[in-house]
Amino acid sequence: MIIDIREVQDINSFYRVESLKGVYGIIWVLVPILTLVLGITIGVLVIVWLEREISAGLQQRIGPEYSGPLGVLQALADGTKLLFKENLLPSRGDTRLFSIGPSIAVIAILLSYSVIPFDYHLVLADLNIGVFLWIAVSSIAPIGLLISGYGSNNKYSFLGGLRAAAQSISYEIPLTLCVLAISLLSNSLSTVDIVEAQSKYGFWGWNLWRQPIGFIVFLISSLAECERLPFDLPEAEEELVAGYQTEYSGIKFGLFYVASYLNLLISSLFVTVLYLGGWNISIPYIFVAGLFEINKAREVFGTTIGIFITLAKTYLFLFIPITTRWTLPRLRMDQLLNLGWKFLLPISLGNLLLTTSFQLSSL
Amino acid sequence: MATINTLSVLFILVPILGALLLVLNLLLAVHNPDNQKIQSFECGFSAFSQTRSRFSVAFYLVGILFLLFDLEIILIFPYAVSAYNNEAYGLWMVVIFILILTLGFVFEFGKGALKISTVESDSNSASNIAQKNDYII
Repeated sequence: MIIDIREVQDINSFYRVESLKGVYGIIWVLVPILTLVLGITIGVLVIVWLEREISAGLQQRIGPEYSGPLGVLQALADGTKLLFKENLLPSRGDTRLFSIGPSIAVIAILLSYSVIPFDYHLVLADLNIGVFLWIAVSSIAPIGLLISGYGSNNKYSFLGGLRAAAQSISYEIPLTLCVLAISLLSNSLSTVDIVEAQSKYGFWGWNLWRQPIGFIVFLISSLAECERLPFDLPEAEEELVAGYQTEYSGIKFGLFYVASYLNLLISSLFVTVLYLGGWNISIPYIFVAGLFEINKAREVFGTTIGIFITLAKTYLFLFIPITTRWTLPRLRMDQLLNLGWKFLLPISLGNLLLTTSFQLSSL
Repeated sequence: MATINTLSVLFILVPILGALLLVLNLLLAVHNPDNQKIQSFECGFSAFSQTRSRFSVAFYLVGILFLLFDLEIILIFPYAVSAYNNEAYGLWMVVIFILILTLGFVFEFGKGALKISTVESDSNSASNIAQKNDYII
């Protein structure tokens, strides 16, 4: 009898350990996700601050200066203020569509961060269809914009939503074709493999040199996807008030704001991953691991350097969209569609065929 | 205990995060709507007409063209990964595939499917002036 009881107790204690293991498992899954989300939030705050400071510099203003040193906390203060602002629902609009629109836009963009590699093993989901997941998930965002434009029941919102959807889907095709050419070069759709394929020869191994046409087309299309200034027709404030955001207030407006900057950040990150060699230090003949006598297991130090290099490349690249905003005039709607369909689409198709032929002839 | 997929947890967690922000706003903010606030914005007027207006058919055609080309891209994606195995035969198949699509695309352009009329391009032809106010872009 005693043995029986002890056995049962043993089993029970093991059972408890097992359930504890389950809890730890969940926590260990949650930790990277929460870190990623927190990191992205900080990244967006930095972008907002950079944008305001650079804009101020270009226009010879001072820019944010009161909240925190150099106005670093300005974006955080704005976000907190929006959280406390009244959430108005337009009387004639569709309340449900109006509410889920901004969330869909943010969620779609936030999900595509899961395939960004910050270092060799530092990627949330190392899928072998990584780039494909990004393209599939990020094309949900225009649905959110269209929904919110329609749900507001306002002329300007409706037109803004329509324009946003038309613009996003027009420029997604050249963008995807450029990504296709890249995946053809590295013979893989996984983001980690794409970066690894560029790791030889320092910065001469970047896809930028092998795909110059693709890079320019990717740059233009991603500017249009982010609705940045030469292409900010959905929010053209002189004609459409604020586009699809016209009726929004409170955190829903904040979500749109965050979504646009999240989009900018992910485009820049993907430029880094696809064209600028990702986490590699990119100076030929210098290998970080060898320099600091770190073995191939890549210790904490190497990983930190990887993250630092990825972010440095990303934020340096961000200067291009931000300065473009204050230098180029806005296009007209027909010019926008013509540029997308008559210029970028044939060029990117040709680029794809050219890349394929070169790759096959070099076999 | 089955292994938990990080990606599926993310796909559940991010929508929860989005909903949480909306709920926080509902809890924290004052809610005091009046007639002026909840009217649809109309540059200082109160709206007097139906706001669900007609729009240019070009938007619809852009959508259809997008479907077509997106399908094309999805079909080329497997080729991009297997280009080395398929060699020249695969390349010719892709070229023929793209050629057919391009022919259709050129035909559609010849028909003027993506032509959006603007005030500038309309001012040349008098016949279009009557249609100018029909839809908005």
